[in-house]
Amino acid sequence: MLTYYLRLALKGFRRAPGLTALMVCAIGLGIAACVMVLTVYHAKSGNPIWWKNDRLYALTMDSWDPTKPYDTRHPSLPPPQMTYKDAMYLHSSKIPERSVVMFKALGVLSGAPAQRKPEPVMARLTTADFFAMFDVPFLYGGGWQAADDSAPGPQIVISRKENDKLFAGANSVGRTIRWNDREFRIVGVLNNWNPLPKFYDLNNGAFDASEDVYIPFGWGAALQLVSAGNNNGWKAEEIKSHRDFLNSETVWLQMWVELPDSAAVQRMQIFLDSYWTEQHKAGRFPRPRNNRLTDVSGWLAANDVVGNDDRVLVGLAFAFLAVCLINTVGLLLAKFLNGASIAGVRRALGASQREIFTQHLVEVGALAVAGALLGLALSTLGLWALRVLFDDSDSMWGASGLPQLIRIDVTSIAATLALAILAALAAGLYPAWRAGRLPPAVYLKSQ
Amino acid sequence: MSLEVRPIFSALLRNRTGAVLVALQIAIALAVLANAVFIVEQRIQMVGRPTGIDDDNLFAVDTSGFGAHFDFDSSVKEDLAYLRSLSGVVAASPIDHTPLSGGGSATEVTTRPGQTTGYTALNYFEMDEQGLKTLGAHLLQGRNFRPEEINAPYAQDRSDAFVPQVIITRAVAQALFPGQNALGKVIYNKVGRPATVIGVIEDMLGSWPTIPEAPQLVAIFPRLPRYFGFVYLVRTQPGQRDAIMRTVEEHLAASNPDRVVRSAKTLTSMKRIVYLNDRNMAIFLATVTVLLVAITSLGIFGLATFNVSTRTKQIGTRRAVGARRGDIMRYFMVENGLITTAGVVVGCALALAVGYWLSQNYSLPRLDLYYLVGGILGLWIIGQLAVWQPARRAARVSPSVATRTV
Repeated sequence: MLTYYLRLALKGFRRAPGLTALMVCAIGLGIAACVMVLTVYHAKSGNPIWWKNDRLYALTMDSWDPTKPYDTRHPSLPPPQMTYKDAMYLHSSKIPERSVVMFKALGVLSGAPAQRKPEPVMARLTTADFFAMFDVPFLYGGGWQAADDSAPGPQIVISRKENDKLFAGANSVGRTIRWNDREFRIVGVLNNWNPLPKFYDLNNGAFDASEDVYIPFGWGAALQLVSAGNNNGWKAEEIKSHRDFLNSETVWLQMWVELPDSAAVQRMQIFLDSYWTEQHKAGRFPRPRNNRLTDVSGWLAANDVVGNDDRVLVGLAFAFLAVCLINTVGLLLAKFLNGASIAGVRRALGASQREIFTQHLVEVGALAVAGALLGLALSTLGLWALRVLFDDSDSMWGASGLPQLIRIDVTSIAATLALAILAALAAGLYPAWRAGRLPPAVYLKSQ
Repeated sequence: MSLEVRPIFSALLRNRTGAVLVALQIAIALAVLANAVFIVEQRIQMVGRPTGIDDDNLFAVDTSGFGAHFDFDSSVKEDLAYLRSLSGVVAASPIDHTPLSGGGSATEVTTRPGQTTGYTALNYFEMDEQGLKTLGAHLLQGRNFRPEEINAPYAQDRSDAFVPQVIITRAVAQALFPGQNALGKVIYNKVGRPATVIGVIEDMLGSWPTIPEAPQLVAIFPRLPRYFGFVYLVRTQPGQRDAIMRTVEEHLAASNPDRVVRSAKTLTSMKRIVYLNDRNMAIFLATVTVLLVAITSLGIFGLATFNVSTRTKQIGTRRAVGARRGDIMRYFMVENGLITTAGVVVGCALALAVGYWLSQNYSLPRLDLYYLVGGILGLWIIGQLAVWQPARRAARVSPSVATRTV
């Protein structure tokens, strides 16, 4: 039966090739637009550490200006980073299973045996829990001990990319290298690790690459390093030395804690609030109490990783799909009702209403399949175009990871399939139903 | 001339579905068209607005001294002498961050010291006496920095400590001293340090061209940058930028073993990167909108063509009983006009609702009504054009068709 219906459908298409082409194009274009925006949206809205979403919390406190919020577009949010003194005090708490305070800094690597010239790198100055907390994979070796954080030891962890470049991929653990002309011993080499979005530090670009090297946090104070990320201050305070800076109200450190269960979250919140109250009494924290523990997905949302433009584009693409489908409904309806005489003959020869309906639905299904195939081809092409459009490899900060995320994946293909079925049902049901309900007699008379 | 609206209307009512579907398409098309064009127009304006600097002939070399033997002062002196000696270089200056780069520094200033509120955030740059010439900024009032006014970099602190002089943009002058002459006036930072305005330049875009706050609120301080960014900004003669940039990059990388070149980029490329998302948004919106209108008009065309072929017999009958070609043609044009009008009425409400929703939720400006009017006219014309050809075909149906059976 199905092959017969398909033959009828093909005949139908051949009777109106222009109309058929228009309908296939409409469905294909509508699907392609949706798949493209959904792929970008999906790439941007991913949670790269979803398996620890209920354990990892960004810690923020509102230490900002009494006269205005940190971000006037999100007045309810505290600054996304911490002051040095608050981060250091909270880091000493034993409530979290793990706790990380960190920032990134510019630096230069030199002194590797085969290295011809010094190489500028981005370093992350972090406390020891970073690697275990964010499930950072090691190729060789591991991180350092918490004891090496404050009285910093000369340990350095390098990325796989740096290890490939400087040591041709060999196990370099135990080798020494110079960072900012100071000797460090390699204790670990990371495996490939580039979480996107870069949830643990969204400050300068949500899709920035992760850092090239990692060194103990204490080097920041010891070498008076300046953060290469954002440093934001609000208070009128004289800062004449690095010590003054560390004691200032400048927010510049990222802080995360790992809390195993809701009881721990509660204890941490109480600890934060009591610290706030104590400091508030002493004249700090002039704004209303706003201490937050934000899980990863909440953190990505609060930091607008998925932007307004992305949401507008999803709306636009679905409006476009809607127009394409309405278009197809109109054309199908006209086509089916025009072919009523044939349906009338079939009805008169004994085909049931249901069979006529099914036959027309098969025709719609064939259209939808053609549309979906076209849609898939167009979205592959479109995503390639988007990768070219989003190519930022020329950026002085280095290429972001976004273009490499914009590609056909299982999600895109699933979306194409789902949209094609939706398109067939939305565009085909009513015309097919109308075709099935045609009274046969009328169309037989004039023949 | 009678427009025969009533019989066309009642005929439409008898065959509602097709007409309703077309009207619905037009309604959505109008809502998308008006809002999309409005957004695209804003992005094009933003990306195309003048930068106020000679960005076509500028490049920036980002360097870091790192070795224990690195001597900042002599290295800067040497490098600047080298850069300024190159033929084809118009001017060169150190700067903390590059305009249009997305990275920079800001400080809050006031005209009345000692206040806790009423500060204006300025995006500031630290440059030397060749700063203005390097940028290609246009001095409106006052004077440039003198070589002896250039301060040494501050010690490694972040007090935003002012230097005695500052050059500001016209936007800053208007924001801080509305209706007054800013020249010679004093601005203060949060700890109350003063700086006297010695020059006012034409507006230029600062580090962050895409921020919603005015990116032209820019100040330039006569000070060598050091700890929070150090870049050589070089302006060349037209056409020589790329070649000089390569020479400079190679020279700076090799001339001092205690210093590395992080990047050397033209401002053209920085500008492209900083506007990348806005440009892409405009491209995507424009493409989808054009396709949407194309699909809609092709749909109207296809449906009209189909209707003409199914109504051949009626048309023939009408022609046989006296209707002229023009009457037939007008029938289809008026029918399309009625449907488009219905769609446009619904579309107006939809467009305004979408515009309002966008302005509320996505902090986009409210939809300008000109775009709505433009959209209505555009769709009307497109609709009429789409039925033109099928209507002409209908008009050519011979009256004799009525006498034949199909």
